[in-house]
Amino acid sequence: MNEKLSYQVTVNGVAFDVDADRDANLLSLLRDQVGLTGTKQGCDDCECGACMVLVDGRPVNSCSYLAVQTGGRDVTTIEGLAEDDELHPIQQAMLDHAGVQCGFCTPGMIMSAHALLETTPKPSIEEIRIGLSGNLCRCTGYQSILNAIGSAANAAD
Amino acid sequence: MSLTDSTPAAAQRFVRADGPEKVTGSGRYAADLELPGMLHAAFRYADMAPARLAGIDTSKAAAMPGVLAVMTAADVPDLRYSPGIADRKLFATDMVRFEGEILAAVAATTPAIAAAAAAAIEVSYESLPAVTDIETALDPAAPLVHPEWADYQVDEGIVREGNLACFSSIERGDAEAAMHEAHTVVTSRYVADGCHAVPIEPRAVAAQWEGNKVTIWSSTQVPFDARAGVCETLQMPTNRVRIIVPHLGGGFGGKCGFHYEAHVAALARAARRPVKLVFSRAEEFLAPDRRREGMVFELTSALDADGRLQARTGTVLIDCGAYVADAAFFPQLAAMHAVGPYQVPNIKIDASLIYTNHQPSGSVRAPTAPQACWAVESHTDELAAAAGLDPVEFRRLNAVDSRTVGPTGQTYEEIGLQECIDAATNAVSYGDELAEDEAIGVAIGWWPTFVSPAGAFLKMDEDGSVQILTGAQECGTGAVMTLRQLAADELGIDPERIEMIYQDTAAAPFGPGATGSQTLVNNGRAVIAGAKQIADQLRELAADQLEAAADDIVLIDGIAHVAGSPTAAVAIDDLAATAAGGELLLGHGSDPFPEPPEAVGTTCVGDQGLTAWVGPQFSCHAVRIRLDRDTGVVRVLDVGAAHDSGTIINPAGALGQVHGAVMMGIGQALTEGTVYDEHGHQRNADLLEYKLQTIADVPHIHTSFIEPPTNNAGPRGAKGLAEAPNVATAAAISNGLAKLIGTPVRMLPMTAERVWDTIGSAHDQVAAATEGHGK
Repeated sequence: MNEKLSYQVTVNGVAFDVDADRDANLLSLLRDQVGLTGTKQGCDDCECGACMVLVDGRPVNSCSYLAVQTGGRDVTTIEGLAEDDELHPIQQAMLDHAGVQCGFCTPGMIMSAHALLETTPKPSIEEIRIGLSGNLCRCTGYQSILNAIGSAANAAD
Repeated sequence: MSLTDSTPAAAQRFVRADGPEKVTGSGRYAADLELPGMLHAAFRYADMAPARLAGIDTSKAAAMPGVLAVMTAADVPDLRYSPGIADRKLFATDMVRFEGEILAAVAATTPAIAAAAAAAIEVSYESLPAVTDIETALDPAAPLVHPEWADYQVDEGIVREGNLACFSSIERGDAEAAMHEAHTVVTSRYVADGCHAVPIEPRAVAAQWEGNKVTIWSSTQVPFDARAGVCETLQMPTNRVRIIVPHLGGGFGGKCGFHYEAHVAALARAARRPVKLVFSRAEEFLAPDRRREGMVFELTSALDADGRLQARTGTVLIDCGAYVADAAFFPQLAAMHAVGPYQVPNIKIDASLIYTNHQPSGSVRAPTAPQACWAVESHTDELAAAAGLDPVEFRRLNAVDSRTVGPTGQTYEEIGLQECIDAATNAVSYGDELAEDEAIGVAIGWWPTFVSPAGAFLKMDEDGSVQILTGAQECGTGAVMTLRQLAADELGIDPERIEMIYQDTAAAPFGPGATGSQTLVNNGRAVIAGAKQIADQLRELAADQLEAAADDIVLIDGIAHVAGSPTAAVAIDDLAATAAGGELLLGHGSDPFPEPPEAVGTTCVGDQGLTAWVGPQFSCHAVRIRLDRDTGVVRVLDVGAAHDSGTIINPAGALGQVHGAVMMGIGQALTEGTVYDEHGHQRNADLLEYKLQTIADVPHIHTSFIEPPTNNAGPRGAKGLAEAPNVATAAAISNGLAKLIGTPVRMLPMTAERVWDTIGSAHDQVAAATEGHGK
């Protein structure tokens, strides 16, 4: 049997004691143990970005990130962005600009955008293109997502 | 023309009711479901294919701790299914025909145990020769993909023999005679690879039995088709099978049809526990009976001295793959696209759907059309060059227009194709000087409006809020949200007051699902009919209270008032409260759908009823590209996309469809193609080697909607829009490339390698010609 490891991980500000296989990835930890299913599995090999989360504020594809590496660290998922009933400005912009269709890429897309705007608050269009190029969307053709992220950045102080 | 990308957002009346849960991660997709005691499913696929099955031994798998069920063909009813041609079984029996064929299924306590048990099943095979080339598959000496094909049940009128799964021809006039009399004759050959729908959500199915009834949560675009498939293969009545679709993470046709609902239901029954199946990305590429079909085109066209089309003959070969899935209607649809929206008086097109040992083909967004449009429109630019005409002028001269007769004898009412050509070319400044290594390619396309039965229930409760129960299915397009707008306008209330129940076969009447761009056209018709019944009830109630005639009552902005007397009014909410104490406000609708128009003078072998179209949609895409001649890499810079899809009811949703389809079209043009080995196995079944377009690739897309008054279509003249914008993009890119290289790239996708090779060949030909001239 796969060796189990016990450690504590903080997800969206809440500490969880977990007991996970040594080779478990962060995606399965979040979905199966922490119980947050907003982070999606789209490919399992770092190609689609649907599983994007933040570890200590930095974006990672959780499908290819060992869960044990998050021991003692802060993980932020899509469920951690809105405050009470108030959507995060990126979430609101994605709705306002029709950047959401099927919604399956949306959590990962928003997490990548969040990471981009943290480091580059006023990105150029090219910087948005580069910052989100690891997130695949098959529905929107991306134009509405470009508009949404640009708008969210411009609306911020 | 009334709507473009620059129409203000406030004027784009779009209400995406499922938006908040999608941006917060609280929306549940099929893979997110957990039920008490739930087991996990895994399939055992063919280890080699094609092959004859010599034996399956499941004993070791069944004995593994944590395994609660192992199933093979012996555990389900022995029957074949599939629309049109019943050639499919849930589990392989005597033969495996492609690498994604399922031999057995396992249910276990964890996904890892299920996978290990599936791998522990022992199978013995006898290898068979593979059929992988549609151009030789009909040779008498070719092995038969289905040796027992003659025993299958088929729909009446399907023409078939051996590896020819289905044949259809379209003939009008005398094409051969016209060829002899023509001024110019051009023959072209084009070959398109297959490709994939690639929804970002891999499919998932969960099933739970309670007594003799089963509930199945499935990521399907077509819950009623899925229910029919379960009922047929597990031999159950419809009222014991309930399909629920949680949020659906995209489909693009890939999740149409009936796939794994019966496998998972059968596992859950055998294990006496709920079971969930979640596909990996590799499975999503390899296993479903759905991929875009590879095709080969041989086209010959004749022009008169003025460059007018006189005749076209053509042969279209379509790679069916190992099973027919829903592709039995592909030949005639492909034949229609091999002619295109042109005034050609004489045509003869033969189209053949051919069995191979590849993954089965099935409807992916505008099946057969992007490939056929790519071939035909590339051929059309060759015709224009032969006639000495600019490609756009050639199209203006030959394309159909209002009140003209199309190639199959359908006379069009008001259509906007010529206006589409104007709008798309103007959007990219066609004719202006371009930078070095840039060109603009132009292509036109068409697509039918599909009609089918559909029903809706509506109820207005005591507070004036409304629920619509519809068999429509949301797959991301937002088309079901448009149904709220239609009902709201009939009832005179805010669409925000309307909730939708659209993903449960036990709750709603039949609908075709998210397939064939049908939601607005067919479910819209049903919702309007149901809403009218409630509106009539409201008018009767208001007439009583206002002492007026019901026919004089107007419902608008939440108020019922007497026409011409806005103050003689009562709130619709108050009428709803009154009704709640007596006769309830209920509506149901399912109006008959429009009759197909006539195809005059056309004869067909294997007719599939697709030679004349209700509400034909037209489009023109004009694409400015830049070519890197050193690498063959093509960059798409600007796209003018103009569409006549009738009346646009939901502008923001419509724009989203065009933008998404154009990007999919760019991918199909340049990077998306399945690569097979000599056994018919896919070599690029992952997102690293099968390249989708990313946000870094987005060009400027300038969209225009041409909205001619349309009678014979959906509500308010709407024709549907999800597929039409996927038709012409690859063709337009091809024509831009041919301008830059001097000859078309005759294979799709037009990868950098193929472009580079074509540049080299063209260069060699020019060099040889120059050398010959010098001598």
